[in-house]
Amino acid sequence: MRESNSRLTALVEGLTDWGIEYFVYVPSSHSAPVIRGLISAGVANVMANREEEAVGIASGLALTGKKVAIIMQDNGFGNALTALATFAQPYQAGFPIFANTRGGLGEYNSMVHSISDSNPDLLKKIGVRVEELGISDSPEVWRSSSQAVAQMAVIQRRPVVTLFESLHPGMETIK
Amino acid sequence: MKRIEALEVLDQIFGNDPLIITCGATAREMASISQKKSHLPLLDSMGLTTPVGLGVALGVKGRVGVIDGDGSLLMGFSILPTLKAYGPKNLIVIVLDNGQHASADLMLSQASDVDIAGAAKGLGLWVGQCDSADEMKSLIASRTGADEISMIFVKIEKGNTPGIPFYLANPPKLSADFVESISS
Repeated sequence: MRESNSRLTALVEGLTDWGIEYFVYVPSSHSAPVIRGLISAGVANVMANREEEAVGIASGLALTGKKVAIIMQDNGFGNALTALATFAQPYQAGFPIFANTRGGLGEYNSMVHSISDSNPDLLKKIGVRVEELGISDSPEVWRSSSQAVAQMAVIQRRPVVTLFESLHPGMETIK
Repeated sequence: MKRIEALEVLDQIFGNDPLIITCGATAREMASISQKKSHLPLLDSMGLTTPVGLGVALGVKGRVGVIDGDGSLLMGFSILPTLKAYGPKNLIVIVLDNGQHASADLMLSQASDVDIAGAAKGLGLWVGQCDSADEMKSLIASRTGADEISMIFVKIEKGNTPGIPFYLANPPKLSADFVESISS
């Protein structure tokens, strides 16, 4: 497997290219390089305790016209579904959600795949558009796609999810 | 004080300032007495009112009000430490506490046994408590322009105002009006 940090850096660059003003995050070791990268870039942020809380805060910010994104882990979508379906979407709050995937190659947790594998279908079932970024995509693709997805979410006034592959930091050296 | 009486007063106090309103009977009763572009009633999404209000308050400079209920706040209680950590000083959260899920067959909420205002105080939030319209007016006036976020717990009577129709608003219209209101 190839290391993914250059791609996570590219994701941060894509969001700064977009002009991100705020991000709301739920802690994750897989997403930590993105979270720390955005903090280092000086982007204002809020750490939420649950994913639906993050959806509420990001929705409020988006309605004020702020360019806001959520950074989270995909196993939290079970918490976030009702907030997405009953507020963010019908109230037309446009913001991107970038969620690292769990349960794939290199996974050490024996049950997280049971929610993570289902997420694309669950999200599409409630009408949320899902994009994907993999470790076979180049950093350039990650950067341009991140910016494009964020722009799309704002233009279309809806949350758009990007599921991105990221190895656990402890797995980065696995070949 | 009945909830609808509290809502009348809150509508007057907040004027055209952004006001995020919790779902169920609270949104319904407010809509029966006042509908403004500056109002953002949640038609569902129990537990999400205060998080949405926090986001709005972070995004604008002026005063923002949230009208939550004890049951809705309990459903998203994890917002309290987030309010303490990030809550902007322009945000005033009003919790209308009847100790009841009045929109859910009048079931008692845990707030009937548990001191939720005390929990907020324990987290270090500024908390005011009252049970009359005059005290509520006075507390909000004193906290407007305060140097930290405010939470005001208002004890209200149990139950709902009878005869209030369902509120069948269109969410995209509500949010478009709200966005126009905060942009003007």
